[in-house]
Amino acid sequence: MFGSIRHKRSLVAAATLATAALTLSTLPAQAFSPHYEVGVSASTIKLGITIPLTGSAAPGYNKVPAAMSAYFNYVNDNGGVNGRKISLVVKDDAYLPTLAVAKTNDLVLKDKVFAVVGALGTANNKAVASSVNLGRRGIPSLFINTGYSGFADKAKYPTTYPLLPSYIVEAKIMGQYIKDNYAGKKLGLIYQDDDFGSDAQAGFKAAGVKFDVSVPYASGSQSAASGAAWVGKLKAAGAEVVVVFGVSSATGVALAASAALSYKAQWILGSVGGDATTLKALGVPAAILTGAQGASFLPSPGDATDEYIKQFQDINTKYNAGAVFDNNVLIAMNTAMLTVQALRAAGSNPTRAGLMAALESKGGSFASASFSPILYSSSSHVGYTGYWIGKYNSSGVMLPDGGKYTLYTTDSGAGAVNTVASKRPAMPAKGLPNN
Amino acid sequence: MNTSIKKKIALAATTALVTVGLVSVSSSAYAAPVCATANYVETCGGVTADGAKYAMMAPANFNGTVFIYSHGYRYSVEAPALGYSLATVQNNPVPGPLVGSDKSVMTYLLSQGYGIAGSTFKVQGWNANSAVATNEELIATFKTKYPATKKVIGWGDSLGAFITQAVAEKNPSLFSAVGLSCPALGTVEAELNGASDFLWGMKTFFDKDIKGHNYSAGDAGTAEAMLDISKILGIAGEVKASLTTGTWPHNSGAAGVALAAIPPRSALLLLGLIAGLPLKSAHFDGTTGPGSKLTAAYTSFALAASPALAILENGSQAAVLAVLATLDMERQSGGPFYDNSTTDYAARVAEDAQTYNAALSGNTAINGMLAFLNKANPAAPRWTATAAAKAEYAKQIQNTGVINAPTLTLTATSDPIVPAGNTQWLADKYAAQYAAAKAKAANNAISTGKYVGPQSMFLPFWNHAPVSYTKFDTAGSPITTEAGVTGTGHCNFTVKQYTAFADALALAATNGNATPTLEMRTAGRKSGGIVDTTYVAPLLPFYRK
Repeated sequence: MFGSIRHKRSLVAAATLATAALTLSTLPAQAFSPHYEVGVSASTIKLGITIPLTGSAAPGYNKVPAAMSAYFNYVNDNGGVNGRKISLVVKDDAYLPTLAVAKTNDLVLKDKVFAVVGALGTANNKAVASSVNLGRRGIPSLFINTGYSGFADKAKYPTTYPLLPSYIVEAKIMGQYIKDNYAGKKLGLIYQDDDFGSDAQAGFKAAGVKFDVSVPYASGSQSAASGAAWVGKLKAAGAEVVVVFGVSSATGVALAASAALSYKAQWILGSVGGDATTLKALGVPAAILTGAQGASFLPSPGDATDEYIKQFQDINTKYNAGAVFDNNVLIAMNTAMLTVQALRAAGSNPTRAGLMAALESKGGSFASASFSPILYSSSSHVGYTGYWIGKYNSSGVMLPDGGKYTLYTTDSGAGAVNTVASKRPAMPAKGLPNN
Repeated sequence: MNTSIKKKIALAATTALVTVGLVSVSSSAYAAPVCATANYVETCGGVTADGAKYAMMAPANFNGTVFIYSHGYRYSVEAPALGYSLATVQNNPVPGPLVGSDKSVMTYLLSQGYGIAGSTFKVQGWNANSAVATNEELIATFKTKYPATKKVIGWGDSLGAFITQAVAEKNPSLFSAVGLSCPALGTVEAELNGASDFLWGMKTFFDKDIKGHNYSAGDAGTAEAMLDISKILGIAGEVKASLTTGTWPHNSGAAGVALAAIPPRSALLLLGLIAGLPLKSAHFDGTTGPGSKLTAAYTSFALAASPALAILENGSQAAVLAVLATLDMERQSGGPFYDNSTTDYAARVAEDAQTYNAALSGNTAINGMLAFLNKANPAAPRWTATAAAKAEYAKQIQNTGVINAPTLTLTATSDPIVPAGNTQWLADKYAAQYAAAKAKAANNAISTGKYVGPQSMFLPFWNHAPVSYTKFDTAGSPITTEAGVTGTGHCNFTVKQYTAFADALALAATNGNATPTLEMRTAGRKSGGIVDTTYVAPLLPFYRK
């Protein structure tokens, strides 16, 4: 069977060699094709993402790929990255770990992407790390969309680069805020009963916050009925301040049940499930959201005075069919802009190893909408470390307490929560990185 | 030879093979092979010195290369309830892999001019110690009968792959290429450890009356094993029913009381993760639900039910084999050899438990189940081995993982009986061997001024299951009556995959290395497998502790 194929190929190869021999003498040395890394050609860099486009976790997150592509297209129309255009292969993982593994394998084996960017979810990224083994295969997974603290462990996840502040950081900051502002109140907590929630519990514990009532839920179990049950427990316990550390669909059913059961509490929403546009789309009444508090590591998407927001809004209008500009779009564009800077830093002939080396040596200087810097280094994969606290207005826009952003920072360990003056690189001209 | 004669050989081979059993041979002592020729194919039958029946076939246009096949694990006891008869197995030497009862792989090889040979082995069960010698003798017998033999390709399925690798390690220059399909590799302990963990877990969670180990001698022990199998199959039915009722199996005992708030499917899934079973099975992909993708029911099934049903499907097969393999090895070892008295299951599943957190019903449920399985819980007594049995068990042949001839593997990434981690073990061993060879070559270059790097001698064909394949009837119930998809099941390869694998082996034997050629890649892709040297499968739990 192979014999006949081989024979044919030998003929083709011979013909190719003969043609090459005829033309060699007239070609300059640089005409020889250089070796490119997987996913890189003379004209393109191919990236991939897995994210829920369908399923219960899709609302909100399903806007991310289009927004990332919009930013990449904007960059492509302005010269690309060292002359190469970026393409983004998008795979729907429906927020299922098994599907994330399969789709990431497809990205690697069939689509042959250079790197994975912005993959979402703690369980999914863990599944991919153990089953696809991106680390062992040397394939970068950039700016993953999860705050699970464990991903910063470079030894365990050598090619994974978290971007979000860890959930421990978020809970510590939130805990400090609660202690400062709601001392003596009865406290309640709804949390996802996995690594996401474990990080939150660790953070609150580190902050010295004890909840009077805690309501864990298994990921994927959230429904209108379970939302009513959660609120029933909180109400029975008399919780006055309730923190929700869950995805948007869980936050949504909790708030909707609260409205339906006339349960009044001071809600504090974790950043993962705190996007107002998504919550409203899930049917959360505006009235229950108004006055709720939340935490964010990026500026408010409604703050057009912020130079990053303004630039991203412009790109969104022109390249993303005017999709509603919310936290998901903002995170997507910020991630895309960081990716472009990383690719530029990797040089004119980027390699996967070079990309990661560039991230670790130069990532801290990249322009980014966050008020806290990225802390990547040769020994650390910690991304952002800071949050500001705000309150949702009647339009669903979260605005900073006191009218100005106050950045709280801390670490995922025993470090104190500090208030620091926010400082970040200026938005590059026209939103086009020049690093 | 022209095409028509090739076709005649192919057709004739099928008939000839059927007659192998008809060739009269002595079953009591070594004798020269008894041969008969029909339609350009010579078929020989005989018995090795140790009493194993064998079959050899060579076409008239024998090209000098023979494939020596080693079959996989066969039960060591009669199991009529499973449709298994020792006598049938021991009287039918198979000189190549079968796909069901289809002999197309063998006829294909004969039509290409290859010789083929295989034996029943002297004993059934885990028989690597004796099978190595049987194979060595069979190869010598073939070469004596066919002096034109120039290349020997050893290949085998499952335990047969283990045996083939053992022969290759013992005889570094015997094979021109080695083919390991659905391979068991390493040690019998590594192979059976996960299965024993699963059995222990089934007893601890679902049926306190499962014996699972320390079977009695003789017929009484066999009866105990058969009873265990029926219990396991019964549990499978009860856990399946619990998807709607949430009720624990009727004989769950203390676990059913302590863990009543947790769905039994989550407990079963935890056992699957502990045992290292794949999360995709013949009919459950872990990605698909019934109806529209936009419904909660779809997500809920795909996220929570499908992984458990995959374990149910995979675990039922694995547990049946585990019971009979345990019985077999206890008899070979003289007593219970499995010991989990110090195993830390919580540490073993720490990562996987988070990946499948939702299907396991969350951390609170996971912690509750692991606390029940903890060695300190008197309601979950651990099993211990006897020192004598352990020592005897350790005498089984072990693969070292050293590769001497071009070696190719064919592995389904969701094999429930011999998980893909077996192949990964060999891949890891070879990576170290190759790195050492490169370092040596670099050192040599310092003195000689010329770098001659090592050739690649290992190539894995990974056979992945499709991403989505679960089907549902109009009522939304999963359909489980269709044949299992490629990439799942044990040695569930198609004729096309086996023949592509054989072609690749022949090419590697000719080339003297396992460097993937375009032809290999193309054949691998077209046959439903792929050549992906960068895929990394999870290691067996035995290596993770």
